[in-house]
Amino acid sequence: MMRRCSRLLLAALVFVVPAAARAQDTRSRVLIVSGIGGEPRYRETFFEWGATMAKAAMQRWGVPRAAVTFLTEQPERAPSITSGRSTKEEVEKAFASIGASAGPADVVFILLIGHGSFQNNESRLSLPGPDLTADDFAKLVGSLGSRRVVLVNVASASGEFVKAVSGPNRIVITSTKSGMERNEARFGQFFVDAFAGDGADADKDGAVSMLEAFQYARRETLRQYESDKTILTEHAVIDDDGDGKGSSEITESATDGRLARSTFLGSGAVTAGAEAPPGASPALRALYEKKKDLEKRVSELRALKDTMDPERYQAELERLLVDLSLTNQEIRRMEGGAS
Amino acid sequence: MSARRSGLTLAGCIAVVALLAQPACAGQQDEARSDPYAAYAAGDYDAAIRGLRALVRSNPAEARPRRTLVAALAEVGRYDEAEGAAKETDSAELANSLGEILVLRGQLDEAAVAFRRSVASRAADRNTARLNLALLDYGRGKVEAALDSFDTFIDLYNGSTRLEPKDLIAVAEAVRRLGVRDPQLFKDAVKALDEAIKEDRGIIDGRPAAYDARVHMGNLFLEKYNSTEAQPLFREVLEKNERHPEALLGMAIAKNFDGSAESMELIGRSLEVNPDNVAALVFRARLLLDLERPADAKKDIDKALSIDAGSLDALSARATMEFLAGNDAAFAMTRQQILAINPVYADLYNQVAELAVRQRRYAGSVELATQAVALDPRSWSGYGILGLNELRLGNVDKARADLEKSFAGDPYNPWIKNTLDLLDTFGEYRIVKTRRFELMLHGSEADLLAPWLGQLAEEAFDSLTKRYHYTPQTPVRIEVYPRHADFSVRTVGIAGLGALGVCFGNVLAIDSPAARERGDFNWGSTLWHELAHTMTLGVSSHRVPRWFTEGLSVLEERRARPGWGDDLTPDFIAAWKKGDILPFSRLNEGFVRPKYPQIVIFSYYEASLVSQMVEEQRGFDTILAMLEAYGEGKSDATVIQDVLGMKPDAFDKQFIDWVEKRFAKQIDAVVVEDEGLIGRALGAVRGGGDRNVGFAADLQRGAELVKDGKEAEARALLQRAREQFPEYVGPGNAYLQLAGIEERAGNLAAAVADLEALAAINENDYDANLAIAGLRERMNDARGAAAALERAIYISPYDKSLHERLADLSTKAGDRQGVVRARRALVALDPVDKADAFYQLALALFEAGDAAGARREVLNALEIAPNFERAQQLLLRLRSGRSDAGAAVPAQETGS
Repeated sequence: MMRRCSRLLLAALVFVVPAAARAQDTRSRVLIVSGIGGEPRYRETFFEWGATMAKAAMQRWGVPRAAVTFLTEQPERAPSITSGRSTKEEVEKAFASIGASAGPADVVFILLIGHGSFQNNESRLSLPGPDLTADDFAKLVGSLGSRRVVLVNVASASGEFVKAVSGPNRIVITSTKSGMERNEARFGQFFVDAFAGDGADADKDGAVSMLEAFQYARRETLRQYESDKTILTEHAVIDDDGDGKGSSEITESATDGRLARSTFLGSGAVTAGAEAPPGASPALRALYEKKKDLEKRVSELRALKDTMDPERYQAELERLLVDLSLTNQEIRRMEGGAS
Repeated sequence: MSARRSGLTLAGCIAVVALLAQPACAGQQDEARSDPYAAYAAGDYDAAIRGLRALVRSNPAEARPRRTLVAALAEVGRYDEAEGAAKETDSAELANSLGEILVLRGQLDEAAVAFRRSVASRAADRNTARLNLALLDYGRGKVEAALDSFDTFIDLYNGSTRLEPKDLIAVAEAVRRLGVRDPQLFKDAVKALDEAIKEDRGIIDGRPAAYDARVHMGNLFLEKYNSTEAQPLFREVLEKNERHPEALLGMAIAKNFDGSAESMELIGRSLEVNPDNVAALVFRARLLLDLERPADAKKDIDKALSIDAGSLDALSARATMEFLAGNDAAFAMTRQQILAINPVYADLYNQVAELAVRQRRYAGSVELATQAVALDPRSWSGYGILGLNELRLGNVDKARADLEKSFAGDPYNPWIKNTLDLLDTFGEYRIVKTRRFELMLHGSEADLLAPWLGQLAEEAFDSLTKRYHYTPQTPVRIEVYPRHADFSVRTVGIAGLGALGVCFGNVLAIDSPAARERGDFNWGSTLWHELAHTMTLGVSSHRVPRWFTEGLSVLEERRARPGWGDDLTPDFIAAWKKGDILPFSRLNEGFVRPKYPQIVIFSYYEASLVSQMVEEQRGFDTILAMLEAYGEGKSDATVIQDVLGMKPDAFDKQFIDWVEKRFAKQIDAVVVEDEGLIGRALGAVRGGGDRNVGFAADLQRGAELVKDGKEAEARALLQRAREQFPEYVGPGNAYLQLAGIEERAGNLAAAVADLEALAAINENDYDANLAIAGLRERMNDARGAAAALERAIYISPYDKSLHERLADLSTKAGDRQGVVRARRALVALDPVDKADAFYQLALALFEAGDAAGARREVLNALEIAPNFERAQQLLLRLRSGRSDAGAAVPAQETGS
């Protein structure tokens, strides 16, 4: 019984440590734009998605309230989390504010929710008043300089945003692969769930990377369509290699997905690798260094999987994973947890 | 891969069809009475022959009326008179006509003399005579010489500015034969026939050219597997002359191609007009052999051979009959006779092989087709039969090579093309081996299905080998197709097959549960059914008739699990009362030539009842004795007589009495009216139906009472409905309604009993099984709940939550292997949190004592999530050889 209690305590610690231990000079700035709903059902859905994301960023991933801007059609519904009406003017102001206040290493996370359209080769997001086009957003993102930007557009017909916004140090995720997929998109619900729920942390490191969120949402969207026995009318894509072409399936060797794999929400938003806590002893620091090295080697090995003899791969993988397990065990022991 | 294989379709007559004249009107009928040519065109053969004789008498030197007279007499089978009419004159203009009559009677040498005379004398129809000579060579196996002769018709066509219709038909027939060298030439044959139809004068002697050309073109389309284009051509001829025997024959073949039962009626009509048409007699004999009625077939074959003793087609039909009966000596003699006429007649083997396939003799068909291609390396159909049946025997690589050869020579064959396209997808499948099976499963579902499929197959193998005292050669191969169209192509070469599974002996193919909507079928019972065929085919050396093998398979399903296998339905009883169920003596027709769609389902059930009756009354040894008797090549009648000691009629009567007695209650409960019982039952349940009809009234009233909250009254009525027709499990059935009443009353055990009674009849009720599992969980019966979920998996295994529940229940029930299987399924279902799924599987394996498996799976978990702490701890424990991995992990974390 004692043993069980100590493990539960440890589980809680493990949850907290990675976020607290990440590099302190990297923070997230979150901008959520929930566009015009047009009818009550959509108005409610769009608000709900935006509010859930804002709450998850603040309450779960430690983004300070001041770093979260939530613009919505109905800001009066929840003044404690909203920041204003989602008009073109307010959106532009929010970008200007972030550009002026965010540090150079900060990650700017932008989530666009609403009805999208694609006409006359122009993709846009419907806002109260004048809309903003993909090119408008490209210019706004450009105003953030070289900071890492994550732009997620979960609106219908959002696929054209990839081409417009793609660039170095940018992660662009859209719920559709092109502007021609115009039906209501469900991807947004699951993307928000990835940060608000428990299912998306595929590698069990206590954090949800942008890639994990994308893959979780994509797979759950597929499952939803299969379960409803409806034809899939949205194909989410991600682009983070700057080539302006979105990918749907991400493999170890793909060029898309690499940036997203190491980009997180919250403090320490760029690198998820655990760091030694401040004041750690040299021995503990050395263990953290060893752990980072082993994680890197596992990652490198996985990239070679298809080219290696399966038995050799398996043996090498086991050797590294055992070493990593023992290292983690030793870290826990030195930090006072049970082994 | 498939892009390289663009199959050809022989088409192109659409523009032509519209050119045909309208059906005969009153004026034309008057004309027919006075004009023998018109009478002939309208199918009034007696009037035509009378008129033509008069014309011949009045002008004996003129060739046209005499040729037409000979043709008319031949068309109605009056060959003696036709020959006499041709011989009445010494004119060389009649030589070709005479030769054609002699060919019909098998007098080939004399026919050749006549054809040569026509050619030498430069008669008007000398080109037709030249073609006929080449055809004689072709029929005698002088293939190269014949092909060279056919080739000269290309020069005839290219060197002429305008050809007569009869010459165009000759050109078409010649290039059609040349198609074995170059398949593109079939299109030129269509072109020539097209021109013959469009020819302004449109007459061959006195005959409408359009008729002959259309029949030729229809036959050409049929040869190239295109019944859709062929039928309008025959139909157009029949609209002008409904008695045209060749058009009726063509239409009968086309309908048979489509699997329509109309074929038999059409061929009957053709033979009424010309009872001595050898081609028609042989075709009907083949239909009868297909229906497994060899005695009737023999009569037609004997008659055909009495007309033309050297007919290769008739002799081949006789060889087929002898082969299927296992009469090897007779088969060898007939084969010798055929090869003496034509030493390279590969179609002998191809025809026998094709019918052997339809009677499930796949290995035999491979042997035969092998001989066909050895005899004639250009026998593209031989390579096709060989390839398709190698595939049925599981020899995939050899099959592919033969199919490629076939397709290269005959790119019109859709079966071959589809099958090659299917073979291109085989790379997506994985082979999973069990003790006695080789499972071919699609990569997307192999991990999910293999544990369940493998276990069930092994269980079925043990059970059935014991019962049938027969052990099939292993491994038995089971192919499982997630796309029904692929299963259909695998089975019959073309999409659209309604079946769920097929057995080729030691190779089975079934739809995977993904191929159909949930609740459409039970893949577990389907597998059992097909494996039972492996036994019955094996015991009978593949000679068991279709009705018996199907009946036994359904019976075995019912023995395997409660609920599996077809059960009595109100529709069956209604059809029984209306006399729409086939008597035992014609039961095969229900499978081979179904007259209405439902009769197939009824026939399966009826066949199972026949088998059940025999087993109940005489024991299973009698069943085995019957199978062995069929294996000796005996017919139904002989088997019934020899094994059961009864005449077939007496057996028929005994079966009827047995059914009437056994289902007396249900027969009373069903009142047959026009709309059918199911219609009334559904109407009653939905409201507005007939309240006074059998159990349907009680079901309806019961439903209304439930709605009004009068559940005690409803219970009594619903119980009575259930008693009246216990097998009714359709919409609004008594079981579901009663279970609802019991559950609401807190009588969980009674609710479970009702639902389990339902599941014991309906093998496809997924929701009922989930409901049973829920109730049993509430009753703390983990084992019973798990059993219900396992039943649901045989209906559809794709619901993740079902396996999660099963894992939990198996844990509670202490069924460690059950936990492993459920955890494997969860991994296979590709969950988002795959690392955890692998970890849970590793843990289950560890707890089941499989440390090596646990280590493999925990590494899979950590490969995805290297810092997954619980998995790391399990890995370290596995390395240290500690056995308390589960104990180290908090209980609530080990669940899903």
